Amino acid sequence: MSTAIRVDGLTKLYRRMAPGFRLRTLKSALLEGSLTEGLAPEETIRALDGVTFSVEAGRSFGVIGSNGSGKSTLLKTLAGLIKPTSGRVEVAGRVAALIELGAGFHPEISGRENIYINGAVLGLSRREIDRRYRQIVDFSGLGDFIEEPVKNYSSGMYVRLGFSVAIHTDPDVLLVDEVLAVGDEAFQHRCLRRIEEFLARGKTLLLVSHSLELVEEYADQALWLEAGIQRLLGSPRRVADAYRQAVAEAEGREHREAKDRRLAELAAEDEERVERPVVDAGGTGEPTPAEESGADGPTPASGPEKPPAPAAAAPAPPAPTPADGEEPRRWGSREAEVTAVRLLDAAGAERYHLESGSEVCFEIEVRAHRPLTDFVFGVGLFTPRRVECWGTNTHLAGFAPDRLEGVATVRLVCPALRLVPGEYLLDVAVHARDGYPYDYHRRYLSFTVTAATAGVGLYFPEHRWEFAGTLRWRRLPPPAG
Amino acid sequence: MYRSTRRLLRFRSLLATLVNRELKARYRGSLLGYFWSLVNPLLLLGVYTFVFSYVFQPRIEGADPYVLFLMTGLFPWTWVASSLLEGSQSLTANAGLIRKAVFPAEVLPVVSVAANLTHFLLALPILGGGLLVGRWMDAPVGGWSALLLPAIVLIQLPALAGFALGLAALNVHFKDVKDILTNLLALAFYMTPVIYPLDWITFGPLRWVVSWLNPFTPFTTAYQQVLFHGVWPGPGLWLHMLGWAAVAWLAGSWLFERLSDSLAEAV
Repeated sequence: MSTAIRVDGLTKLYRRMAPGFRLRTLKSALLEGSLTEGLAPEETIRALDGVTFSVEAGRSFGVIGSNGSGKSTLLKTLAGLIKPTSGRVEVAGRVAALIELGAGFHPEISGRENIYINGAVLGLSRREIDRRYRQIVDFSGLGDFIEEPVKNYSSGMYVRLGFSVAIHTDPDVLLVDEVLAVGDEAFQHRCLRRIEEFLARGKTLLLVSHSLELVEEYADQALWLEAGIQRLLGSPRRVADAYRQAVAEAEGREHREAKDRRLAELAAEDEERVERPVVDAGGTGEPTPAEESGADGPTPASGPEKPPAPAAAAPAPPAPTPADGEEPRRWGSREAEVTAVRLLDAAGAERYHLESGSEVCFEIEVRAHRPLTDFVFGVGLFTPRRVECWGTNTHLAGFAPDRLEGVATVRLVCPALRLVPGEYLLDVAVHARDGYPYDYHRRYLSFTVTAATAGVGLYFPEHRWEFAGTLRWRRLPPPAG
Repeated sequence: MYRSTRRLLRFRSLLATLVNRELKARYRGSLLGYFWSLVNPLLLLGVYTFVFSYVFQPRIEGADPYVLFLMTGLFPWTWVASSLLEGSQSLTANAGLIRKAVFPAEVLPVVSVAANLTHFLLALPILGGGLLVGRWMDAPVGGWSALLLPAIVLIQLPALAGFALGLAALNVHFKDVKDILTNLLALAFYMTPVIYPLDWITFGPLRWVVSWLNPFTPFTTAYQQVLFHGVWPGPGLWLHMLGWAAVAWLAGSWLFERLSDSLAEAV
């Protein structure tokens, strides 16, 4: 099989826009064909740094990464719009590129004329375009609009026409940047079908997308770029997982940092008003059904409008209700304190991106500032919309507290955590059996769950589909995990 | 140089489309439309006729009647000035296209030149009418030499296109090009024998500069010879024009190609 795209040590520098460089950059542009020759490192931005990969003809390749990671620069380099600072880029055959919205269209002239221009740029003769003209217009669904100047098109129309031209001009390599996200559902499906046909004909696709699902589904190989550096190259599943994990970790860090900042602020306030009690930040204990049901009544589901106690087994804590109406994130007397919470996988590695059904361990570190004889550890899982998925605590599990002193570690192990794919938030608490809070954390951390197949709701049991009778499927999904 | 030429030839239908669009855009929403391309020079001719018949009455050897002499040089000069001004801005004005698409950027400056050529051609009937009226009034103007006009235009076209390409590429790096060019063109207007015959310059060095360093002098002289004087230009003048056309085209397209690698980034 031949190589359609070969990128070798691709590095791209952009100059920073400082007025003093203009003469120098012109000189180097004239002499070297580059704008950054001879500029000091602090005068340039490294958009791509030593990117190396190749794509076989007939394969599809996905590129993921956060904003500003160099994805578009890579695409523009492949399209021949910009020249690499160093390294090599080879693309075999005719390249069509859909870069950003309305790429390649002259806004002032009609869709029809733009089709001819686009075709000509892609190397088609007028007669060849004549032959495809009808198909292009039909696929785009633009109808009479094709005679209007392109600037009057909606963003969806732009993309529809752009994709239609690109796919019908029969390129050997198609470069697509994110644009498909703009079209409506029906058009996206049509595009994806066309892309499948395109790939089936042995053509090559390079897809840049924020939609990890799209990359996982359509790419044979994927590349994760971060700040211009090649973080990971490999199977789309692996690359997407690693990316998700990194994003979740970064978000977790942000959460924790924000929380720490807030605690520090609260502590500073407390110091100013020494006379105020530590526990009660001015709030009133709201009565909840839990309070009525007594200390032994397990109440896993607390109403969403009330401060939900994670797996509360007792009266609601005297949760502070700040005047600004914002949900409190942490409250309690701090006689015992949650100092760290981690999610661990079966191998004991920290993970915030989980496979549904895999083994997960919630590890909680606590520190008791005085010896305690009454204590309960609890966790609660919530969706981002505060729907409680599951909660439990040591009291519900039947553990009778005896003594907690100094530092302790509590682990809750789920051999198979079956959650519907999505994002989840974790609440963690240490409290007395009657619900008196030592340390309640709401939304302590977030994690994501993925699965080979999708699902909705809260519960994701192990499952499979079986069929009988005259019933056939065009494509079989991967087996559910 | 070779690449620009080849690509311009390959994308000539794109060129035609864009020129057409440019012309349509200029008169969009106006009542007279294309007619303005005729009305403008007609009004200009009328105003100058009035001024130079009743206000000043210049009697210039070799430039009489003066209005017709002036118009013969002025219409081609308008083509030069507006082509270069618009052409130099054509890349920056279409930055979006160049940044995001595989678009033949060399087409854009040439579109400005070609669009302004159209205006020049539309003004020619007015000039022709003026010359006919002049002949009818027994002025010794015009003649069959006017048949050579297309040849001069054809030589001037690559000259202007070359200048426009080079200026447009430079303007991507220096926005100052516009201001420099505006002033330079104002100066060049007086350094070109448009409002006076070349013979009027008696100061030797200045005459040498105007004759040999100004690329537009031979073209202006040629227009005056074939249209106004009714004289067939000599081989020297043809070579002079061809020389400038070659120099401008080669230098402009060379500059453009050298800078084209970095256009999408710098624009």
